[in-house]
Amino acid sequence: MRKTLQKNSLQKAVAVILCGICSVAVINSQPIAEKSTVKTNPKDDIKPMPVYGHWKNFTTKEGLPNDHAYCVRIDGKRVLVGTHEGMAVYEDGKWTTYTTKDGLAHNGVVSIDVSELTGDVWIGTLGGLNRWSAGKFETFNQLNSGLPNDLVYCVYCDGKDVWTATGGGAGHYDTYTKQWEIFTEKNAPMHEPWTYGVSAGDGKIFIAAWGGGVIEYTTKTKQFKDYTDPDGEMEIDLLPDDGPVHDITTGTTYGDGLLWVSTYFGLSSYDGTHWKGYFDHDSGLASNFINFVRAKGPVVFICSDKGLSSTNGKSWVTYKKNDKNGDGVAIIKNYGRIDDSTVDKTTKELPMAPCVAHNFVIGVDADDQFLWVATEGGVSRGELLK
Amino acid sequence: MKASRIISVIVFLSVLGLIIYFTGGKWARTHVNYITATGDHPLNCLSCHLYTQKSGFIYKLVNKKYLSPFNLAVSKDGSRLYVVAQEDNSLLVVDPQKRKVLNRISVGNLPHSVILTNDGQKAYVSNQWSDNVSVIDLASAKVIDTLNTGNGPAGLSLSADGKFLYVVDSYSSNISVIDLNTGEERKRFNSGNNPTGAELSPDGKTLYVTSRRALIAPYGETIETELTVVDEGIQRIRDRRNIESAYMMENVAFTPTGDMAMITMIRPKNLVPSIQVEQGWMMTYGLTIIEQKENGRVIQLLLDEPNAYYSDPFDIVITPDGKKAFISHSGVNTISVVNIDSVRSLISKSSPEQLNSYSNNLGISSRYVIKRIKTGADPKGLALSSDGRLLYVAEQLEDRISVINTESLETVGSIKLGGPRIVTVARQGRRLFNNSGHTFQNQFDCYTCHPDMHEDGLVYNMASKDMGRNLTNTQSLRDIGDTPPYKWNGKNQTVYKQDGMRFSTVLTRTEQFNYKDLDALTAYIITGIPYPPNLQYNPNGELTESQLRGKAMFERTKDSYGNVIPENNRCITCHTPPYYTNLKMAYVKTLAVTDDSMLFDTPHLNNIYASPPYLHDGRAATLEEIWTKYGTEDRHGRINDMTKNQLNDLVDYLKSLRAPTYDNIVTKKFHAKN
Amino acid sequence: MKKHRTTIVSSFIMAIGFTCAFFSSCREKNKEGMIIFTRSAVKSNSTNFDKSDSWRYIPQAQILKLDPEKPEASEKVLTTNFYSAHSPEISYDGKYLLFAAQQKQNDPWQIWEMDLNDLKSRQVTSSKENCTDPAYLPLGRIVFSKYSADDTLKAGHSLYICNTDGSNMKRISFNPFSYLASNVLSDGRILTIGRQVFPEQGVPVYMVLRPDGTKSELFYKGVEGGSLFSPGLETNNGKLVFIESDKSNFGEGNLISINYNRPLHSRVNLSSEIKGDFHSVFPQKSGRLLVSYRKSESDRYALYEFDPEKKVLGKAIYSNNDYDVLEVVITGKHERPKKLPSEVDMGVKTGLLLCQDINILDMRPSATFSKSSKIKIVGIDSTLGSVDVAEDGSFYLKVRADKPFQIQTVDKDGHILRSPCGWIWLRPNERRGCVGCHEDPELVPANRVPLSVKKSPVIIPMHINKVVEKKVSLE
Repeated sequence: MRKTLQKNSLQKAVAVILCGICSVAVINSQPIAEKSTVKTNPKDDIKPMPVYGHWKNFTTKEGLPNDHAYCVRIDGKRVLVGTHEGMAVYEDGKWTTYTTKDGLAHNGVVSIDVSELTGDVWIGTLGGLNRWSAGKFETFNQLNSGLPNDLVYCVYCDGKDVWTATGGGAGHYDTYTKQWEIFTEKNAPMHEPWTYGVSAGDGKIFIAAWGGGVIEYTTKTKQFKDYTDPDGEMEIDLLPDDGPVHDITTGTTYGDGLLWVSTYFGLSSYDGTHWKGYFDHDSGLASNFINFVRAKGPVVFICSDKGLSSTNGKSWVTYKKNDKNGDGVAIIKNYGRIDDSTVDKTTKELPMAPCVAHNFVIGVDADDQFLWVATEGGVSRGELLK
Repeated sequence: MKASRIISVIVFLSVLGLIIYFTGGKWARTHVNYITATGDHPLNCLSCHLYTQKSGFIYKLVNKKYLSPFNLAVSKDGSRLYVVAQEDNSLLVVDPQKRKVLNRISVGNLPHSVILTNDGQKAYVSNQWSDNVSVIDLASAKVIDTLNTGNGPAGLSLSADGKFLYVVDSYSSNISVIDLNTGEERKRFNSGNNPTGAELSPDGKTLYVTSRRALIAPYGETIETELTVVDEGIQRIRDRRNIESAYMMENVAFTPTGDMAMITMIRPKNLVPSIQVEQGWMMTYGLTIIEQKENGRVIQLLLDEPNAYYSDPFDIVITPDGKKAFISHSGVNTISVVNIDSVRSLISKSSPEQLNSYSNNLGISSRYVIKRIKTGADPKGLALSSDGRLLYVAEQLEDRISVINTESLETVGSIKLGGPRIVTVARQGRRLFNNSGHTFQNQFDCYTCHPDMHEDGLVYNMASKDMGRNLTNTQSLRDIGDTPPYKWNGKNQTVYKQDGMRFSTVLTRTEQFNYKDLDALTAYIITGIPYPPNLQYNPNGELTESQLRGKAMFERTKDSYGNVIPENNRCITCHTPPYYTNLKMAYVKTLAVTDDSMLFDTPHLNNIYASPPYLHDGRAATLEEIWTKYGTEDRHGRINDMTKNQLNDLVDYLKSLRAPTYDNIVTKKFHAKN
Repeated sequence: MKKHRTTIVSSFIMAIGFTCAFFSSCREKNKEGMIIFTRSAVKSNSTNFDKSDSWRYIPQAQILKLDPEKPEASEKVLTTNFYSAHSPEISYDGKYLLFAAQQKQNDPWQIWEMDLNDLKSRQVTSSKENCTDPAYLPLGRIVFSKYSADDTLKAGHSLYICNTDGSNMKRISFNPFSYLASNVLSDGRILTIGRQVFPEQGVPVYMVLRPDGTKSELFYKGVEGGSLFSPGLETNNGKLVFIESDKSNFGEGNLISINYNRPLHSRVNLSSEIKGDFHSVFPQKSGRLLVSYRKSESDRYALYEFDPEKKVLGKAIYSNNDYDVLEVVITGKHERPKKLPSEVDMGVKTGLLLCQDINILDMRPSATFSKSSKIKIVGIDSTLGSVDVAEDGSFYLKVRADKPFQIQTVDKDGHILRSPCGWIWLRPNERRGCVGCHEDPELVPANRVPLSVKKSPVIIPMHINKVVEKKVSLE
């Protein structure tokens, strides 16, 4: 992995990753609402892009165990946050922290998902996987179970199945049969076993494989298909919209019939036929260095090293914190209906005080009212502006 | 000439007969002494060779098919009993007034529980060895549907609105939620370890599911067994309560007012050196009581007395007036009657310290146990008539239902279900297996540590030498007849020896079985304990791709680098089919510092998935841990060259191993070499 | 006609046969067996436990047999060849009578066995010291009390077992207690009245132990100020009956019943409504009791039936103004107690003792007391050692077998916290556990690993560094 990074002169990325967080933790999880596999025409839903404000930031001062927040997941009335020092749960205005003393596999919590069926919380850590059910932690690790590897970068619940992206391949755990399957370069079209993201939609599993693009696994047929960048691992996307912008993928998410794929070199979407690339120079994307993506219906939230962006494919809203103080700005581009005739093609900046806690954004989740953001400088909550 | 020839023949035959008699007799004595590990077992060939046949004509001749009633339900009007006949794979419809079986409805394999719909029109029967539930139309007495479940369906409960069926999957440790509209399983919760009992609270909001096996934890940690609490309204797990120092929580009942839930349980003493039976040093039995209020306490009260133990509590029912609880103790053929007001009074007047002390006090039961009612062999499921006046008891090894008047607390009748009238040798053996009468003060029986004739998942300090040494993981008794020797150290060459004198000296600490009983017990253990089907991992004998890859790993002769694996370090060498043991002793470098030097009897591996924890002292919580944590030196098979995928494949294969009978493999007869 | 006659004759014969069988079976059913009882002209109220002239040695006592159907007419003295005889006990097959007797006035008391068929007696023991209170054990063994005065016991009666021919005699109690009036419970254990004789006299209690001398423990503690007089005998409904005095009439007996299942807390005085004294009791198969009873001190003890359900005396079966009826048994087969296996290995020199938590006291939580951090092991004549208890209050000792010792709790400064426990002994290879210190005997151990067993046991006496034991093979 590091060889590849060095080869591509991604020194900045390496520096940020090594300094900011203890490991390259690319986090992905998927809200329940958009796990529908029904593909809809974007034009049928022409709601304008949601914009969030009235930010409130949470750090250790407010009760977080650590300001390095790796992931965030909304679970009904509570919010689950993975941090460098355990999982923090925000409920009724209070934070409660769970660590290895409570049964957590490792205090570095980098991914959280909630089973739609059972309500069980699945927690990916840097030392194994936890099922947190009705207050009890159960640990799966590479020594006591079929979990491929203890570095669980991403966990995703798809019905009765739990998928993990780990340092030793993608793992599939069937909660009914209690059996594990491992997918690595040995039995899947991967470049190497290192996987960073996994998501599901439309009967398919999308694995973000390091250096291997996106691995699509059809659950019914158990067939694999891989999507790689025809340009290989070149930093520049020579041929636009020819596939994922890069083979080093950091996350996948599926919503409203679109697969979104994040890389350190830009964002891609795939509608089943065509790929489309998005870059900081030709869209509202804050940065090409993307840690994580999460789709919610037609909107996808993109966590980058320079702020949080969101888009429905046309309109863009990016939240950025000022370098000098806690204030920030929402940069709105192409705002309006998706129908071209109603789009405001000007870029507007909406001052926000405060804004997101830190511009190095690693995790995000949203519901009808709030947007929660995990950053390197704490957790932020924005309210939907009407 | 003719006469002399005849005389010669007679003389010859006589001499031959005498030679055979004396030398044969000597040989027979030696043989029997070896088999029984005694010097005075009667030289009765039949007692061993007749009753230990596992199949064939003789097996059929000396054995009978019993009904074995296990659980039961009563219709609202009290006119019908619905009895699960476990060994008959049927639901029996019984007229309790006429004491007559009206109908026999075939269901799946090894049915476990029965539940009736509120309108009394349907019955649901869980089929533990079929992984499904039979839906029975009671008017036509026919199975009208079959609902698929998780592995080993046992306890059943209907949702308050009758739209969902909760099925406790005892083998896979799940709770299946079945939508009765569609017949489909809507979701499956993870539960405690080996759950069985399920009961909905009187307000219909909470479902309690009790577990039998303790959660797997390193030896020395407090035993904890999960009570899984389901919020019925939102169909989510609301709570997972770890009940401390208890296991085998078979069943649960709520008081009609819903202020308490009462759960049958065993409080084992596996962490205490097994140095005596006196003063409850091996097992105690009682109730876990959970107050149903905010911050409700968990209280444990024993049902035993200082010199009398009431082993293997199984079912519990509470009268509609909430005054009495009845608990079946299958190990002592007894029903305990508990005055619930006395329990309430005791609890309300006691400090937390006192309550904590009561959980280990044998005398406290005199404050609330008001009667012990004797029953026939092995009382299991209980059911009350809707007016609460009659209690029906399924006497499993009697093929009978006994009827108890709940006012007079006397047995007022019994209903014979029509099983064989004679008690075969193996059946008698099963009765002995399930009865604590052969343990000092009835403290435990074979079944206590070998529930379902399997194992209880606990590790014991048998204190065979010094205390604190030589921990022992309980071993399964399923189909062990062909896998001598016995015990981890292989010291017992036969089941006879295993259950003979040493058994009474180090375990039961009372008079050993007499030879007739020992013959019967041995016959049962050798012939009567089949493996359940491996429906979870190998339902039809067709291995998955992963299992096939694992099989190749299991049978491989070369490692991943192409090096030949020494024969004695290959899986297949020691774990030879069909039982996956070569019946030999082996050293696999798993001795702990607290173990005395010894070799281990190679364990059999069929249904090994159902026997965690693993290794002789139970240190490996999962199959994976045998090698990832405790086999790092490549002495327990060549393993360190394997990738994680390969290890997963191997484990998948091991989990697929099942009894040879399911693959129509005929095994050898019972044998013990001499 | 002939056929008809044959039928009538056959029927007649059969009817007679059935009638005979019916009456004979009825008669058999009603019959409890012959009554064997002890009588004495001399009144003895001595209850010394530490002297050889204990109340168990009754001068000029006789053992008699009588038929309960015709008590007065059938009376027959069985021990005419003895100066005194008592403590009758019937073998399980009903064929033999075991008793203690003196042939001549100054002879030591010995154990004898009589064949009830020919009434011939055979001497079982040949001891220089008095032997008394024999009881049958399974496997052709008996238990009895034998007086001795030695370093261990100082002076009193120890329990011994031997074969019925007197061979293979072994002592099984090894503490300074005097044990008398033993009986064998159906669970196979010996129930005996034990009383501490050193360093000071204790109160008599029922102790119970296995026939190999292991697992000795308290069974029943009498009422305060009272005393126990007779063997505790089991009824066929799970109770034990015996005679006990109380403060109000010390030296005279009440008829007491306790439950086997919970002996310490189930005492019922069956004779509370009856004026007078009881001396002995024997349960019949019918559930009724045979008792020796007198109305007042001026009367003689006579033999009565007693209904334990109604708590009323029945008719007098036998009385004699010249004698007290002292003990009674009934002939006939009766259930053999369980044959208990033995863990004793005479090749081993020590036993192991584990205490789970020395700070568990009575039923109260330990928090209300000063916690002990050390124990002192005290022998008859010297302190055998002091041992630090583990953090959880447990200790684990390897103690020289068949030697009595007491355990005393001390705090970290060596101050004695609580009085020592009763005298304990361990048999060779015995492994024994106790839950706490002076704890409620109804308490069972908590299910936790005692920290002390994670190490090797401390050898007692502590001046011994190593015990070279016979190698005990693994079970």
